[in-house]
This record gives sequence, structure tokens and C-alpha cells, in this order.
Amino acid sequence: MDKLLSGRRVLVVEDEMLVLIMIEDMLADLGCTSVTSAATVDKALALTNAQVFDAAILDINLNGHDSHPVAEALSARGVPFVYSTGNTDHGSRNGYSGRPVLKKPFKFEELVAILTRFKLAPVER
Amino acid sequence: MIQEKVRATVSTTCNQIDRPWHVGNNEKVCQQKVAEAEVESFRKDLGPFVVAAETTRMAMVFTDATKPDNPIIFANDSFLSLSGYDREEVLGKNFNFLIAHGADAEALTRIKSEFEGSSGSGAEVLCRREDGGEFWTDVFISPVRDEGGDIVQYFASFVDLTKHKEDEAQSKMLIDELNHRVKNTLSTVQSIVWQTLRSPSDPKVVRESIESRLFALSRSHDLLTREKWESAGLLDIVHDALEPFGVSGGRADRIAVKGENIRFPPKSALALGIAFNELATNAVKYGAFSNAAGSILIEWTMETTPTGQRLLLNWEEKDGPPVTPPAHKGFGSRVIERGLAHELEGTIHLDYRPDGLVCTMDIPLLRGTRDG
Repeated sequence: MDKLLSGRRVLVVEDEMLVLIMIEDMLADLGCTSVTSAATVDKALALTNAQVFDAAILDINLNGHDSHPVAEALSARGVPFVYSTGNTDHGSRNGYSGRPVLKKPFKFEELVAILTRFKLAPVER
Repeated sequence: MIQEKVRATVSTTCNQIDRPWHVGNNEKVCQQKVAEAEVESFRKDLGPFVVAAETTRMAMVFTDATKPDNPIIFANDSFLSLSGYDREEVLGKNFNFLIAHGADAEALTRIKSEFEGSSGSGAEVLCRREDGGEFWTDVFISPVRDEGGDIVQYFASFVDLTKHKEDEAQSKMLIDELNHRVKNTLSTVQSIVWQTLRSPSDPKVVRESIESRLFALSRSHDLLTREKWESAGLLDIVHDALEPFGVSGGRADRIAVKGENIRFPPKSALALGIAFNELATNAVKYGAFSNAAGSILIEWTMETTPTGQRLLLNWEEKDGPPVTPPAHKGFGSRVIERGLAHELEGTIHLDYRPDGLVCTMDIPLLRGTRDG
């Protein structure tokens, strides 16, 4: 039986290597075999412009830099994404524009719930 | 009474010098003269107290409560140095001219209630300096009454809050940063637990590998704390990561470390510390440290390329048991090849040569990471 992310391409923008590895494993458990990652705003933007993604997980703070430009690029391309953040009060600063948020550390089940709500269109074969 | 007299005198003078085509300007000059004269009368009235007010380090002004716009009639030197204005620019002006954003209704209300004596605790106000700069100050206002109990003047003192506000902002930033760091560290720990539990092992092995990784994190934190979380040198990162593996103990003569103490920012230092811990753990389990003869050479150089400086590092094991590539990529090799390469935006390669593991790192150095 197909899993939630079978055949999906997911972009993970995350600057902590151990957190990235865990997210990759979580996504792999959901059937995702194509995970692309970026640790910086520049690389994330380059990837967003060059490739097609079905969904993305976006860390708000990339080594002190706000990942907002990446959020804009993803929105412009209609890629559904979820923010992840270690900040506790970020919402009050610039809001999440209605996007779902995973507060680190987050549970596998929380990620699954959010990805399920994305209601991704069937994979074309 | 003296003031009344002075005012009358000055008014007469003003009328004499009045010119119809310069009414506005002359009115101003006139007001100023009135104010200056009032300060003089003030000086006569209060004697030593005026000297005290003039020389104290606390910024203060007096205003004339009998005039509708409550003009400033006295300003001491501390006030002038705090605000940057000359005395002539201040005297005769409405008290509110100091407010940085004149339209700031809230600030005006705070000052009004301070004048009315209803705040009792002073008003925090953002003021404008002569040069356009702004400063926060606590304003305390008390009325000065005449014999009949009528308010004739207001006395206002200012406590400069600039330093306090800076400290406040700084500590808020530090707390935010600390919170962020704690949450990220907790995520990192979650990842370590998650990863370690993915490969089926007996509880003792699981506990030991979780501990080994947590202690590696902890040692990197210690190193960065000693360096005030500014940066850490590569020699120190390597040394501290290998400490539990006997770099300065039993295996000291089997480890050679050669390279400059290139500085890395905290996040990169943490990542490198974790990676070296994984390499050393692997060496103890399967590599050069799993027998009595093996040794490890860790060597690095810096190379200048058109895109900037790069670190070229070699971790070379020899004289250990014959090496065979692992059937599955474990946590260690993923952290090194995938994780570290990702976080430092470099290329890391693990080469399982039969005569010993070789790990090569090619990592871009950000500007300023090198030790002067």
C-alpha cells in the first residue's frame, strides 16, 4: 500500500545537521525517497527555483538568518510548506501567514498530521 | 513678586524694539528675554539651591506654570549635555518640544498625567536630541507652589535610560538566543535518541552510544563556553573530541594532529565536534584503535581558491585490522558524509580502504573564520 509520501519530492530547509537527518528518517518512514536539503537561504532559493517539490519543511531561523525569502518563493510556486522553529515567540514578530508550525522539538505524529492536512494531489504515473 | 517685576521690565523693552515687519521673530526674541530674565530672578530667589541645580549630574529644568504653554525657564548643564541643545534653544520652549515624536499621543498623555501629579512614578518618554538622535528618559515632575498654594512653576528631572534600554535589549536578545539554542539542542538530542534506537541493539549498547554522543555535545559546549561562544579553534575541537579516546592519555603516541588552529563559528564547531566523535568511535569499534598497533593521522591545510579559502582535512587510519566497507550506512557515516557536508556546505568523503579508513573534508571557510 502507498504511504503518505510515496513518490513525493520534499525540500527540507534546516541548518542543524542532526535535526535534518532525523527529519529525513521521518520522511523516509512516510515513504518519501526523494529528500532535498538546504542549510542556507541562498541554497534553498536556488533549489526552489530549479526543482519542483510537492511539499517543504522550512526552518525559520537559518544560522541567524530569517528564511522569509524562501517562504515567499515557495508560496509563489504553490508548494505547501510547514515552518519549523526553535523560537517560542516568533509568531508575534511577523506571523506565520496562516502556515502550520512545528515547534522544535516536535513529534513524528505532529509532522504526519500536518503533512496529511496538505492533501497532496495523487502522484502522476 | 520679583518675577512679576522682571516680566514687566522685559515687556517694556520688547515693546520698544518691536518692528511691525518682524513681529514673529521679535516675539520669539521677546519670549526668550522674558525667560532669561526670569532665570535671573529665580537665581536671586533661591540662591544656593540654584547652584546645586545647575551643577548636579541629574538633568533638570524648571517651567513657568503661570504661562499657558508652560515654557522652560531654567535648564541646567546636565540637561543641556543630555539633550545636546544650547541654553538659548531651550529657554522659552514648551516642555513637550523634547518628545521625539511630537504626535505621540501616548507620550503626551504620560507627561500630562505626570504634570498633574497622578502618575507618581515618573513617565518614560522617548526624547529627541538636538542632533536628531533619540534617547529614553524617565521624567519626574513636581509642582512648585507659592505662599498661597498656587502652582507657579514645575520642576522636572530626567533620568537617562539609554544605557538601561540598551542593557534591556541586550538581555532580551540573549534570552531569545538562549531559548532558541535550548530548543535546537533538545531537537539534536531527540535526533540522537531517534537515530540510536533505529538500529536494533541491546539496551547497554544503546545507552552507551546515546551517552557517548551526548557527552560529545557537552564537551563542544564546554569548549565554546570557554571561548565565550564566539568561535573555536580546529586544534581545540579535534583535541576535545578525541579526549575520551585517549588523545592525551594511553593513545597519545598513536594520534598525530597537524594543522593551524583555524577558527570556526559556534555552530560549525559543534557539528565538527560531533563528526570527530563519530570518527573516533568508529576507530575504536572497527578501525585503528580496535587493535594495539593502529594509528591515526589528522592533518589539514588551507587552500585559497577563486571562490575563497577552503579547509582540506584528512583523517587517515593505518595499521588497524583490514577494513571492509559497511553493508549499511550507520548513524556515524550519515552524520559525517551527509550531515556535516550539508551543514558546512562542503564535500566529505569516507573511503573504506583495506589498510585503513580515510576521511577527506573539503570545507569552505567563511570570511573571518581564520585565526588572525
